[in-house]
Amino acid sequence: MSMMVRGNVRMALSSVRGSKWRSILTMTGVIVGIVAVVTVVGIGEGVKRQVSQQLSNFGNDLITVRPGKPAREMNISSASNTDAIFGMGSTVGLANNDVDIIQKSGEAKSVAPLGLVPGEVQVNDKVFVNTPVIATSPDLPAVLSHKVEFGDFWDDRNDDGNTYAAVIGKNVAANLFEENVPLGRTFNFRGQAFVVRGVLSDFANVPFSPTASFDNAIFIPYRTAASLTNNNASLYAILVKPVDAKDVEDGVAGITQHLRDAHGGQQDFAVLGPHETADSGNGVVKLLTTWIIAVAVIALIIGGVGIMNIMLLTVTERMHEIGVRKAIGATSRQILTQFITEAAVLSVLGGVVGIALSLIVDGLLYVYSDLKPVISWQAITIATGVSLATGIIFGTIPAVKAARKDPIEALRHE
Amino acid sequence: MAIIELRDVSKLYGFGDATTVALDEVTLSIDEGEFVAVMGPSGCGKSTLMNMIGLLDRPTHGQFMLNDRPVERLRPARRAKIRRDTIGFVFQFFNLLPRLTVLENVALPLTYKGIAGRRRMKQALNMLEQVGLGGREFFYPRHLSGGQAQCVAIARALINDPKIIIADEPTGNLDSASSRLVMEMLSEIHKTGNTILFVTHNPELTRYATRVVYMHDGAVVQDEQTRLGEIADTARKVMYTIPVTTEEDDLAGVSSLMKALPSKDKERSQPKSTKKKPAKSKARRPRSKKA
Repeated sequence: MSMMVRGNVRMALSSVRGSKWRSILTMTGVIVGIVAVVTVVGIGEGVKRQVSQQLSNFGNDLITVRPGKPAREMNISSASNTDAIFGMGSTVGLANNDVDIIQKSGEAKSVAPLGLVPGEVQVNDKVFVNTPVIATSPDLPAVLSHKVEFGDFWDDRNDDGNTYAAVIGKNVAANLFEENVPLGRTFNFRGQAFVVRGVLSDFANVPFSPTASFDNAIFIPYRTAASLTNNNASLYAILVKPVDAKDVEDGVAGITQHLRDAHGGQQDFAVLGPHETADSGNGVVKLLTTWIIAVAVIALIIGGVGIMNIMLLTVTERMHEIGVRKAIGATSRQILTQFITEAAVLSVLGGVVGIALSLIVDGLLYVYSDLKPVISWQAITIATGVSLATGIIFGTIPAVKAARKDPIEALRHE
Repeated sequence: MAIIELRDVSKLYGFGDATTVALDEVTLSIDEGEFVAVMGPSGCGKSTLMNMIGLLDRPTHGQFMLNDRPVERLRPARRAKIRRDTIGFVFQFFNLLPRLTVLENVALPLTYKGIAGRRRMKQALNMLEQVGLGGREFFYPRHLSGGQAQCVAIARALINDPKIIIADEPTGNLDSASSRLVMEMLSEIHKTGNTILFVTHNPELTRYATRVVYMHDGAVVQDEQTRLGEIADTARKVMYTIPVTTEEDDLAGVSSLMKALPSKDKERSQPKSTKKKPAKSKARRPRSKKA
């Protein structure tokens, strides 16, 4: 049997060679599908690795408090419960109060809120729209285990909302102030002049993660932000380092308890340990992966139908050959195997080309973008299996047609 | 002992008033080692008979015993295996697979038998040498002359050492030199004890046969034993009856053989320019003589 298969494969390869263009066009669908699957899985794997890498840079004791229900209670479909026009169902942000509660709870060693402050930045009458201004506290470097490269954070102790100081990301220094160390320079934000007190060192670039934009952001005191916006700026996260780095779970539980008490028993926030944070970060990747895999499945179905189409044509064209083979003793099953093998060879070739192309695509992404795709053996094996399955599934109908053909009728066919 | 035995075998195509009778209650018994020539005008059912005996077709009615076993009701897979092991086909248009080399073509029946690659190729090479095409195993069929292609086809038919060779007009597409080559080859095979059936339009070729069966309108109308090397009597009549066909006959699709043969249809065999031959046997008396 195995040599039958080998003979069939050899026959199939020679028929693929015999009609090169047709075969290439037939394989296109499978190629596209496989490129999509392998590339996306590679990207997803890469992002996952980068995220966990970064989280371990932040330290394994980072606790994140987020507004809204805990991530595990949320799913994609909950988005459909949201009123897109009036925003009903959208989550309430965390407030500065919550920062104070956590600070006073005794669970936290350092606390850094993160809140996006709306408004535009002006430097020497030049307006910069794409520079996010983030409200935070001087604990930020401690929480993220990050360094302030030049200068320092503002003093938080006597902050009454009138501290107009800022720390800026590396790129902001270059883009807005056009110098590496713009300490003491000022910019205007919501009608106030802020003085640059420090410049943060580089953040590792991780796609789909909040820190991606930290190099381009300006950080200002959160109490100042509150007074500038009449307490309307909400926080999108509060980052906490627990007192006991060994017992993060304890810290999570303690913070949850304190916040729930303050919120009147409502669990309208989520407290995440480092692993849960990674998971929710991967959520974006997962969603993207789901969509692209859906596209890949559609491409594979189209590719499969293309293969079926060409195989039907091939069977008709080679009807006479089928008749001859049957006359000299081929059973229907042997004819069936021959044509299924041919379809499978076609789609596996498509799969191999697809894998090769996705290696190239991933290589280009690695060099020219922040994505660092990881090609795993699993992805390649799955891709090969999927293309083999596509060929077998879609090659069956034409092969059955060939196998069922009456030998005399087939012989008469020219 | 008869290796092939047909009893009242009929084959009908179509339905209702469009029914065509391809074989009309043919009863024929062929012994092992016979070299049978089948003659008759186009459309008389020769090829249907060949397909029937070669297990490519099933009779609509009647019984067919091959090697004393009834085969008319066998499943397709079983028939394919019998075809593979006991029957070798030679066709008018060679029917070699164009994408396979000569060697692979010859080895193909062995592939379906499941014989390992190296042994298969060795056997096929051996067979090619026997038909005199030893040096051409890696040629493709398109590189061969008609005679060579037919030799390859014969090698392919012989590779499984079948008891029966069925050749449907093996020389129909060849010049006379190649025809002779092919017939000599079949003759050699016959000497080793194979049963051979071949269809021909050429009366000359009945020299090679030990028996000639004439068919008309789906029935066997004449069945005669001949001596090897001699042209069969009935066939000879066709040969030397000149003119062979008139223009009218040609237009009507009537062949000289039709006229020479006794017909079920009396008025159709009315002589025009040819001498009327008295029928040797009564029409529709197809029972064969035992050798």
